[in-house]
Amino acid sequence: MLFNSLEFVLFFITFFVLYWFVFKRNVELQNGLILVASYFFMAWWDWHFLLILVISSIINFVLGIYIAKAEDNENRQRLLLWLGLIYGLGSLLFFKYCNFFIESFVGAFDAFGVHLNIHTLNIILPLGISFYTFRAMSYLMDIESGKTEPVKNVVVFFSYLSFFPSSLSGPIDKARDFVPQLVKPRVFDSAQAADGARQILWGLFKKVVIADNCSSIAGPIFEQHHLYPGSTLLLGAFLYTIEIYADFSGYSDMAVGIARLLGFNIMNNFRYPFFAQNIAEFWQKWHISLTAWMTEYVFTPLSFIFRTYGKTGTILAIIINFVLVGLWHGANWTFIVYGFLHGCYFIPLLLKGTVNANKPIAEGRIFPTFRELINVLATFLLVMFTLILFNSQSITQAFYYYKDLFSSSLFSSVLLPEGMRSIKLTLTLVFIVILFMIEWIGRKQLYAIANLGLNWYRPVRWGLYYILIFLIFYFSGNEQQFIYFQF
Amino acid sequence: MEKSEIKAKIRTILVAVLKHENFEMNDDLSAANVAGWDSLTHMVIITEIEKGFQIKFKLKELNKLNNLGNLVDLIQSKLS
Repeated sequence: MLFNSLEFVLFFITFFVLYWFVFKRNVELQNGLILVASYFFMAWWDWHFLLILVISSIINFVLGIYIAKAEDNENRQRLLLWLGLIYGLGSLLFFKYCNFFIESFVGAFDAFGVHLNIHTLNIILPLGISFYTFRAMSYLMDIESGKTEPVKNVVVFFSYLSFFPSSLSGPIDKARDFVPQLVKPRVFDSAQAADGARQILWGLFKKVVIADNCSSIAGPIFEQHHLYPGSTLLLGAFLYTIEIYADFSGYSDMAVGIARLLGFNIMNNFRYPFFAQNIAEFWQKWHISLTAWMTEYVFTPLSFIFRTYGKTGTILAIIINFVLVGLWHGANWTFIVYGFLHGCYFIPLLLKGTVNANKPIAEGRIFPTFRELINVLATFLLVMFTLILFNSQSITQAFYYYKDLFSSSLFSSVLLPEGMRSIKLTLTLVFIVILFMIEWIGRKQLYAIANLGLNWYRPVRWGLYYILIFLIFYFSGNEQQFIYFQF
Repeated sequence: MEKSEIKAKIRTILVAVLKHENFEMNDDLSAANVAGWDSLTHMVIITEIEKGFQIKFKLKELNKLNNLGNLVDLIQSKLS
């Protein structure tokens, strides 16, 4: 079920009532309910996906305990850890990348005129596998390095991997942050619940009003890009960039908000990435749980291994790290090149040593300086440029998009998709401006409207909420899938 | 080597890499409370410490470090 669907609302209300009013203050029952609900949620999509999740949960549960038991035998520990990692990576490789490898393999031979008769398999990607596999791998690695204890309670561990607010598209919480919250009783806190509800509202606004509207314009532009002049392709790229931000950060806000309604504090996934002044800052604010995961488990070990090679070593570690970030998204050369480009973007910063040179934007001021604004725009353009690849089916398609974008038709007037009224574009752009205004005002908060209007006269604040709710319902007709479900 | 000596040497390295002195060399000092000490500068600091003290760390040892106190203890154990 999508978060913005009637089924989910009904599911969640039932769950909420049982959780806080029937099983209140009983940790075991609440956790049992979380597990049942999370499995129900997964099975609603497809019971096969649930089976794969359960198998993964059993394997990681057992390995976690044995890795901890093998504390005195480093080799044994390492072997067990690698078994777990190979299982996790192996299942990801199989479900996500099998066909990619087969196609690339066949393609390489084709280039030499040798035609192999290997067919791609009919594999469907299990929902959420990228997310719970990464949770499981971080769990095993943390046990081996002594950063966390193994979980001996089956319900708690299985709930950690399957927790329904974040099972489909993250955030990728670490066991050491989440498990302590599962083990402790949750007490209903009305302030926390209100805050959670506000964050859900904001997430819904971003998803339904901003992302879905951007998608309805950007989608046709990308699909039939050869029909449009460069000016429109630029608009398409811009709208897609906003779309993916609003979609994913909106979903993440809903996940965090729902978790807060249940008494959990899970990590935020976004921190106003488009106010970043360079690419390093951008990645500290975009898809934070994935970046943090990769930094701890990929970049740090790599930079340790390469540490005697100075800046070259760091650059190599960053590039490998970001190629893997790209690849995590899916089995396509477009994602690999996307990641590679982002890694390369770091090179000037690393060489000049200016990675952290910028002070937080508009610190102590209302508006950014001109210099800061240029930095923000430049960073946005760099990111937008790579998202064209991200949204293309192939390198070839992206290539044609870039070629037509950077042609003389860049200066011709915008051509809207067939049948689309210009009011739609105008309205979407107005919403985007409002989005950024609200985000700018709320840029120091966990989510943009956290503190908005808390000092206002109550009816005025509720007026704002009602406007958001109205807009969400008004635009709910154009229901689009969450982009990050496909990862 | 005495802990205070080790700390002093670490301090010199931190100042040289991070280019500022906005931190106190307390045992509970951690990277999170020092501006500019992130995953990118961390390995530079570690490499300078290895060179400065003529020691070699293992990744597993680094993973167990939570604060300056742990780091000083680790260095001291490697020097003896």
